[in-house]
Amino acid sequence: MITQQNFWQHNKAVLMFALVALTMPLWFPLIGGYSGLDTKIMIFCIFVVGFDILLGFTGYLSFGHAAFFGISAYTTGIMLKNFSDNIIPAIIVAVAAATLVALIIGLLTLKRTGIYFSILTLAFAEMFDSMAMSMLQKWTGGENGLTGMPTPMLFDLKMQGDTVFYFCALMAILLYYLAKRIERSPVGLMMKAIKCNQTRLEYTGINARKYKLLAFVLSAMYAAVAGSLMVVYEPFVGHEFLGWHQSGEIVIMSVIGGVGTLVGPMLGAGFMLYFENVLSVSLGEQWLLVLGVIFMVVVIFMPGGFMEAVARLKKRFFTTIDGE
Amino acid sequence: MAILDIHQVSLSFGGLKALQNVNLKIEKGSTHALIGPNGAGKSTLLNVLTGMLKPDDGSVMFDGKPLLNVNSFDINQLGIAKVFQTPAIFPEMTVLQNVTIPVFAARDGSFNLNMFEGRSRQRPLIEFAEQQICELGLENHMHSLAGSLSRGDKRRLEMAICLANKPRLLLLDEPTAGMARHETEKTIELLKSMNDGITKVIVEHDMNVVFSLAEKISVLAQGQIIAEGSPDEIKGHPKVIEAYLGEAQV
Repeated sequence: MITQQNFWQHNKAVLMFALVALTMPLWFPLIGGYSGLDTKIMIFCIFVVGFDILLGFTGYLSFGHAAFFGISAYTTGIMLKNFSDNIIPAIIVAVAAATLVALIIGLLTLKRTGIYFSILTLAFAEMFDSMAMSMLQKWTGGENGLTGMPTPMLFDLKMQGDTVFYFCALMAILLYYLAKRIERSPVGLMMKAIKCNQTRLEYTGINARKYKLLAFVLSAMYAAVAGSLMVVYEPFVGHEFLGWHQSGEIVIMSVIGGVGTLVGPMLGAGFMLYFENVLSVSLGEQWLLVLGVIFMVVVIFMPGGFMEAVARLKKRFFTTIDGE
Repeated sequence: MAILDIHQVSLSFGGLKALQNVNLKIEKGSTHALIGPNGAGKSTLLNVLTGMLKPDDGSVMFDGKPLLNVNSFDINQLGIAKVFQTPAIFPEMTVLQNVTIPVFAARDGSFNLNMFEGRSRQRPLIEFAEQQICELGLENHMHSLAGSLSRGDKRRLEMAICLANKPRLLLLDEPTAGMARHETEKTIELLKSMNDGITKVIVEHDMNVVFSLAEKISVLAQGQIIAEGSPDEIKGHPKVIEAYLGEAQV
């Protein structure tokens, strides 16, 4: 009985996310969303949840996570094109490749903190961007991007339309659940302690560097899964996948949603993509300006993002009911 | 038997000789105070013991194991904990979470990949953390944010963090600095009551604290140990008086 109650309490957020995600094809068109955008939202949910393991838990702001997203996307494309149209080996190889790169970049960049860490990660991502455009052109297609992939297959299942959506949604639910598990584990506690007081943590017998590297690699793996799914969703890879704009967008999604809450960044991702693709049409050319203003308002008045607003509303309503 | 053996340790910052051939033996289970005027090298010596500073020369042995060139976290895992001058805690975490960290550090070592283990399922460990918190009189703040505690309570929390992974040697860097009189008295009592064989090294300016706690006192001045002995011996020691009065005249 107690364990059942615990299960509900621990997994309430995951179950609610699963409900919202899996019913998305039903309600999303009602608010103007088109099919395909819902898939993209699921993919970016994966990206930002992983990013929150690094930024939200340890407080390290990476401006280079597009590198892992892009490397994985290119690897997936090349695998689908040259090896097999089955997505499973493609995803596994792509995530493994990005993980390896993340391990090396992490070892080098985590020697620094704060702005220096951010700039280093940005520099590495830009390095991969320019490599994709020059020496690796033969593989990446350079300016034209990587095209000519066959229709991706999940064994005998064609990855098209709703199939892709449900595949991505299930991945997002699974990966969100795993992120929640990490948050509740001793590892999650150590990662969050890095953000609070790294010196005290080291003097408490914890090797903070290893936990930072773990957070960095985990977040890169999430980015890699997202990058790989992007190619399954749309068989094209452009070099903008690797660009600083992509890295920046993830940061903005996280900040708007609420850094460190896991669910907040996903809200941010949903909001940003909905705004960019649906609301931008009715707002016309000024949409970026409006987005900028929204971002500023959130950062100035609600530094905790959407989740802070949710928490404030909850507090207001529950205090009147409980009389606290 | 000496649990800590500092042998001929020297350290310079540029031209400044912060420590010069320091020899110090700390007896197991004793409370040993390090005193001396400002800039004498007391904190520097503590930083050498915790792995934060590397001496130019000399050796440090803790319970038969060398301490030099060992990482801070490994030194802590060996059984040395440090209480900082300004309480070092995890301010954005609850008091219970603060103390849970060393409890898991004691079980898992400096790094462990147990990513999917639920912390709350480890009832005995959590209960041990709760017990530590109660022992230091913070039971009413169990779920408060550590950053919201009063300074005295923050100090108590830091002690709970340090004691939770059962150290054998506790280093205290001015544990009562900036405290009101009654808080200081409370801290003295807390340190006195902690008599489960933990060796304590206290750096302190407040002579009241030193004389009510220490069994042995070493006096540092300009990076050298100029006197060592029981509190009574130190009180009347001419070199000590000179070192302190010398400072007062400047």
